[in-house]
Amino acid sequence: MTAPTDQHREGKKDVTFRIFRFNPQVDSKPYFDDYTIQVERGITVLRSLNYIKEHIDASISFRAFCQAGICGSCGMRVNGLSQLACTTQVWDVLAKSREPGIIKVEPLRNLPLIKDLIVDMDPLVDKMKHYSNWIDSTMPESSMGKKEFLISEEEFLRYDKATDCILCASCVSECSILRANKEYVSPAVLLKSYRMNVDSRDAIHGERLAELVKDHGVWDCTHCYRCQESCVKSIPIMDAIHGIREDAIELRGMKDTSGSKHAEAFMSDIEKKGKLVEATLPIRTNGIVWTLQNLLPMAVKMIMKRRTPPPPPLVKSAKGIKIFREMFREMTEHVRQDHKSHKK
Amino acid sequence: MKPFDIVIVGGGGAGLYAAMEAMKTNPSLNIAVLSKVYPNRSHTSAAQGGANAALGNKAKDDTVEMHIFDTIKGSDYLADQDAVDVLCSEAPKIIRELENMGTPWSRMEDNTIAQRPFGGAGRPRCCYCSDKTGHTILQTLYEQCLKKGVIFFNEYFALNLSVKGSRSRGLIAMNMKTGNVEAFPARTVILATGGYAKMYWNRSSNAAGNTGDGQAIAYRAGIPMKDMEFVQFHPTGLRKSGLLVTEGARGEGGYLINRNGERFMARYAKEKMELGPRDLVSRSLETEILEGRGFDSPAGKYLHLDLTHLGADLIKSRLPQIREMCMQFEGVDPIDEPIPVRPTAHYSMGGIDTDNFTRTIMEGVYAAGECACVSVHGANRLGGNSLLDILVFGRIAGHTAAEEAGKFEPGNISEAELKEHVEEMRGGMHASGHHERYGELREELGQTLALNVGIFREASLLKRGIQDIAELKERFKKVRVTDTSDVFNTNLMQVLELKNMLDLAETVAAGASAREESRGSHTRIDFPVRDDAKWHKHTLATRVKGNVVLGEKPVTMGRYELQERTY
Ligand SMILES: Cc1cc2nc3c(=O)[nH]c(=O)nc-3n(C[C@H](O)[C@H](O)[C@H](O)COP(=O)(O)OP(=O)(O)OC[C@H]3O[C@@H](n4cnc5c(N)ncnc54)[C@H](O)[C@@H]3O)c2cc1C
Ligand code: SF4
Ligand code: SF4
Ligand code: FES
Repeated sequence: MTAPTDQHREGKKDVTFRIFRFNPQVDSKPYFDDYTIQVERGITVLRSLNYIKEHIDASISFRAFCQAGICGSCGMRVNGLSQLACTTQVWDVLAKSREPGIIKVEPLRNLPLIKDLIVDMDPLVDKMKHYSNWIDSTMPESSMGKKEFLISEEEFLRYDKATDCILCASCVSECSILRANKEYVSPAVLLKSYRMNVDSRDAIHGERLAELVKDHGVWDCTHCYRCQESCVKSIPIMDAIHGIREDAIELRGMKDTSGSKHAEAFMSDIEKKGKLVEATLPIRTNGIVWTLQNLLPMAVKMIMKRRTPPPPPLVKSAKGIKIFREMFREMTEHVRQDHKSHKK
Repeated sequence: MKPFDIVIVGGGGAGLYAAMEAMKTNPSLNIAVLSKVYPNRSHTSAAQGGANAALGNKAKDDTVEMHIFDTIKGSDYLADQDAVDVLCSEAPKIIRELENMGTPWSRMEDNTIAQRPFGGAGRPRCCYCSDKTGHTILQTLYEQCLKKGVIFFNEYFALNLSVKGSRSRGLIAMNMKTGNVEAFPARTVILATGGYAKMYWNRSSNAAGNTGDGQAIAYRAGIPMKDMEFVQFHPTGLRKSGLLVTEGARGEGGYLINRNGERFMARYAKEKMELGPRDLVSRSLETEILEGRGFDSPAGKYLHLDLTHLGADLIKSRLPQIREMCMQFEGVDPIDEPIPVRPTAHYSMGGIDTDNFTRTIMEGVYAAGECACVSVHGANRLGGNSLLDILVFGRIAGHTAAEEAGKFEPGNISEAELKEHVEEMRGGMHASGHHERYGELREELGQTLALNVGIFREASLLKRGIQDIAELKERFKKVRVTDTSDVFNTNLMQVLELKNMLDLAETVAAGASAREESRGSHTRIDFPVRDDAKWHKHTLATRVKGNVVLGEKPVTMGRYELQERTY
């Protein structure tokens, strides 16, 4: 690569970029093309792609705009992990690469493929619309601009981190439920919904929540934490998901939306055992066949990585807890613990 | 496509505010927003610092009048004072309006919107949301537009206005997903396509798409460009990418060092050293490089911003973002090594000439945001005034177009005309006789601009620059688009953006060469002082038969007389 070097300290490496190719006009199915270039320290995956596009093959198509990790355009899978090409250093990827010297670049998953590394973002925008991912202000439009709402630092901090989201869809690409069910709300949309729900300026908290507890909504999430682990802005997405669930139970109770089958299962676990038995939840909501096909392989992985509570027989019944609120608190605590053990 | 009342080109802060306001002004209108990227990707998201408004939350004695004066002085008296009045008096209202719609502003102890000091401002009046102000404003506007049901044509690349006589009939644009060129007949068009500082390419802090498309579209349609020679440089861009290392790094005590190991700012600003004003520090770095005291690399010369003496603890606690950025984009950890930097083109003060209602000279065509020049920034923009500009004038554009759309006939673009545009666009670009490489031309354009039309300008350099641009334009006629596919042809899009940059570069160089004085961001070595007698006026660049023709326009004065600009 002709890009800059400090000769006195930087070496160079030959790197093969194995790039996913698909042009819907001519290809019946996708394939990979290899491009080998010399890369020195300090070069990002995006700069390498730009170099290949400019010097070797101009037909490779990918999105990029700010080149500064803020616009969210360049989400793609680099050696299997969804991330931003513009903030990912080639040498860092190489250090972890299973095949030495090879970097595999693929489009994000769970969104329709358009061409090469470009996927269609419209389904995500449609979900943002469906779940009213905006503030519907308690202030009528005609009185806006005259005075500020007074908002405490404490409230600001509740949504501060969530507003870091750049809609890059890395989490969407990694979400395990979306792989099985494209209609699932999506982690980024849950995050945004939560951000709106905890904002005191918003007037449609209840309506939004009602939508979130329906089919394909918040109860479908399996707590696999993949979204949070892949978030390019390190946003604690699971806090948002837990937040919405707590809210749903507290404010709506177990009403009759079809999605609340999941919620009922959830609650009966709490009542019986005092603890959430996450492992059995998907079976009761989605049926055994679906669960076996879609979740079992993942569940095994999750248990190995200690992401899931142990299977039912190992969950002890909580003694002496009768009042729902207390059980609920314990459940929340459990989830938090789970969450904490993850972060380590 | 059925005719629209208003077509807005651009989904940044200016375009989205225009859309919202137009719908509010007249809900029965048929409005569309076109954007070459999803609106939330627009470059407005990159603004970290904040937006100015004399809310008086932090400094109780702040006033709109003080904001007006700071802006006029900052502009080196080239801003139009009536336009600055509008900008600053609307500011508190627009910031509160955003707040009322959900923008997550950081807060003061008394729970009002937080404000902080910013360069060139007499009072702390910059409203912010952590270091992501532009991002959160853009999110809010996008969310509100989705709520209102604004019709978006995302990933549509605008090519040209359709012009009949003295007015526009609508817009021609390419759908990136299909490669189809489509007509958008419209009564009115609002151009809100952002800045052109990316023409300096890897010597620019801007997004890859800040290529001045809207300006070039207007320019080709015969609309004049105003004050194009004024381009703001930021002193510390990363060497490889041009991305900004914010002033905070120097604020915490970072040193600027040349290849002889000297803290060279001692030569230029003995007292303030690294913390002198932005333009002065930029000029100092450039001087060091020009006089051979920079470090060498194949990508050009650079200097060191050294933080190593600050120690790991301070860097980790106070400058974590800067550290992360250096590691991600340059592969350098500032705890162990100095950061390679050089000045970078940051903001375009010039743009499409408009009046205070955002009207251009062409009936039915409006412009707002960084692509327009009202002018509120004159020869130098103050930090925090640009977000304000796009919001205030974006809103005015939406309002004015909505009020005036009824005056104009419905747009109408014939099939034959559409064909002509397609021909013009692709004209032979795939032919084998076309051998010029896009990347080379773009690289050379950036280099000649940085060298000859950069921070320091001089007659002989500018002559070189103008020649180089002319040659590049000639070579561009034989540019090759190797990707022949229709779906998402980013190769074609980049080439079309280069064409726009070449057209505009010519106006920047022409303005810079005509303006024989130094004012604001425009520094002529051969004319080092401001010359109010000859040059207290705007330049206008109009395209006539394919060539730049320069004209001028008086500056609107008001309550403030010309003064020397000292800080
Ligand atoms: C690193 C950085 C930091 C900054 N910090 C600050 C700050 O702290 N405070 C401040 O006030 N200002 C700041 N600025 C300046 C400010 O961010 C910009 O001036 C402002 O955001 C421009 O907004 P806009 O709406 O005019 O254009 P943009 O946000 O650039 O939007 C342009 C829109 O036009 C669309 N478009 C362009 N060409 C076409 C085409 N051919 N077809 C279709 N659509 C097209 C794009 O898709 C995009 O949606 C900063 C700028 C930079 C680069
Ligand atoms: S935790 Fe839930 S939202 Fe996140 S990836 Fe797993 S299933 Fe998807
Ligand atoms: S939550 Fe994180 S990973 Fe998901 S879209 Fe937002 S920034 Fe990207
Ligand atoms: S290009 Fe904007 S986030 Fe990577």
